[in-house]
Amino acid sequence: MKLGLRGQERLRLLFIYTLCAVVLVWALAPIYWVFVSSISTRKELYARPYKIWFPSQPTFESYQTIFTQGAKFRAGGFSPTADLMGAGLRNSIIISVGAAGIVTLLATGAGYAFARMRFRGRNLIFLLIMFMLPLPIWVSLIALFFLMSQLGLIDTLLGLILIFVTLLLPLAVWMMTTFVRDIPAEIQDAARVDGANRWRLLYSIILPLARPGMVAVFLVAMLSTWNNFLIPLIFTRTNDSQPLTIVLTLFIGQYEVAWEDMSAAAVVTMLPPFLMALFFQRYLVRGLTMGAVK
Amino acid sequence: MSENRLLKLAGGKQTGRAYMRRPTSDSLYVVIVLAPIVLMIALFIYYPALDTFGQSLTNRNLRIRRPPKPVGAENYLKLLNDDEFWEVTGRSFQVVIMTLPLEMVVAFSIAMLLNQRFPGRGVVRTLTILPWMLPGVVNGFLWGWLLNGEYGALNGLLYQFGLISEYQVWLRAPEHQIFWVTVVQTWTRYAFPTIILLAGLQSIPDDLFDAAKVDGANALSRVRFITFPLLLPSFGIALVVEFIAAFQIFDVVWTLTAGSSAGGSINPFTKTLMLYNYELVFRDLRVGLGAALSYLILLMSLAVGMIFVLRVYNQGVQEA
Repeated sequence: MKLGLRGQERLRLLFIYTLCAVVLVWALAPIYWVFVSSISTRKELYARPYKIWFPSQPTFESYQTIFTQGAKFRAGGFSPTADLMGAGLRNSIIISVGAAGIVTLLATGAGYAFARMRFRGRNLIFLLIMFMLPLPIWVSLIALFFLMSQLGLIDTLLGLILIFVTLLLPLAVWMMTTFVRDIPAEIQDAARVDGANRWRLLYSIILPLARPGMVAVFLVAMLSTWNNFLIPLIFTRTNDSQPLTIVLTLFIGQYEVAWEDMSAAAVVTMLPPFLMALFFQRYLVRGLTMGAVK
Repeated sequence: MSENRLLKLAGGKQTGRAYMRRPTSDSLYVVIVLAPIVLMIALFIYYPALDTFGQSLTNRNLRIRRPPKPVGAENYLKLLNDDEFWEVTGRSFQVVIMTLPLEMVVAFSIAMLLNQRFPGRGVVRTLTILPWMLPGVVNGFLWGWLLNGEYGALNGLLYQFGLISEYQVWLRAPEHQIFWVTVVQTWTRYAFPTIILLAGLQSIPDDLFDAAKVDGANALSRVRFITFPLLLPSFGIALVVEFIAAFQIFDVVWTLTAGSSAGGSINPFTKTLMLYNYELVFRDLRVGLGAALSYLILLMSLAVGMIFVLRVYNQGVQEA
């Protein structure tokens, strides 16, 4: 049987969409399932054999539970975690927004300097900042823990923000340097002839033009900070500073804690990255691949 | 000469002269902008890195109340003669060796698919990349729950289709635990090699394929003789980055199989180098020994990274 051109195209698309379906199931099924778990009633979720792929009576009870009472034990009663979720959410937001904001400011200023100015030691300083980008920072973290204890910065939001800003700086500076470099030099030359100094140039010429770059840096920094687990694992102790990634593992540690509650906690933890990945993916992919490839 | 090069680096098209006469406000600007950055990096990265190395040469142990004494290379020798160290190192390499091929096959297949033209490609691409952007600890949890022996969805699904007659505890046997660790690591990371390979695919000119078609090459040999050789550099980048990610796996294991809350012990069957190192320093408080291990991990990462790069590079040069 011979297929016309349109028939062939249709067959091709059918084939492609079938493969797409397989890929999307692989990518999204675990996420879908944890979301379903978080809005299921316990009775449906614990049915054996399980065959409900969407709850008949979706409920947000688990979300309410984890924020007001803490996670409940399967046998009944609550683990003493009532404040953990609320505090974790607050800490995660403060740390990631704080670190991202500071790193964006610092990197924009530095990016301008590296891209447009000549000064003694320029290459050396750039190299010193970039050298750590591909290096595993684990060797620094061990002694950094003792340094932070001496500074009294263990288990503080300030300590976490300082560490994250430092770790994010190389990538951020590098991104901003390339972004500023892409701005035509002629524009600032004109302003310079008019007698504008560096600060004025940065503020009125570079900043508006580099805004997409700054947004990218901010988003990448915020996502990396929000998702990080190792740093808060080492540098936090209590819910004064523990972010959601840590809170989630505290729930999991208790074997008896109800799965629907833990699922709700997992959904809350991944919601901001999930939304950022949906709506700002272009920015994020560019920044994250730059960081990895260099 | 070098000044011209600098200028080119700086991106300016101006002549050197305009930059030579720099006003004083410039140096003030540079100092104000760069001082905090240099200070933070020196204080929080370079100084601690050196300090860790210094501690790796002492017998510092916070469990024992004694001032740490310098012991030379003893910690390094102790590790190299320790069975647990080799066991854990072997396991880390096992994770790498199992993860990388799986990841590359998944990434290459998806990249080939996304390289086709079809309506809705952008949406599929966006959704495909999602797992990479989620927190690793969440990914470990997602899969741990999916694989749960009592109520997990995988059991439910397979049971419903009659593929298993009884619920399985997927994460019971140690070798199964390692297997699932690599699957979850693949799920977490495959998006990155996909993006890199997709970019590589899109940079291959269509003419090459057209010419091959005219010469009568079938689809398979087109992939073998055009796509693969031209993608080698992309594979190289992806492999190096993914090697480091898999070799230093931590978050995913922590929530999938490490089975530990604060204070609990770490599951020995999925203990990889990073978890071992964390345990030594922050659980056992054997700081000197742990510091030495951190430097061994650094050396191994760098060495293997270099070998990968050189291999792929040489191969690329030969085939080209």
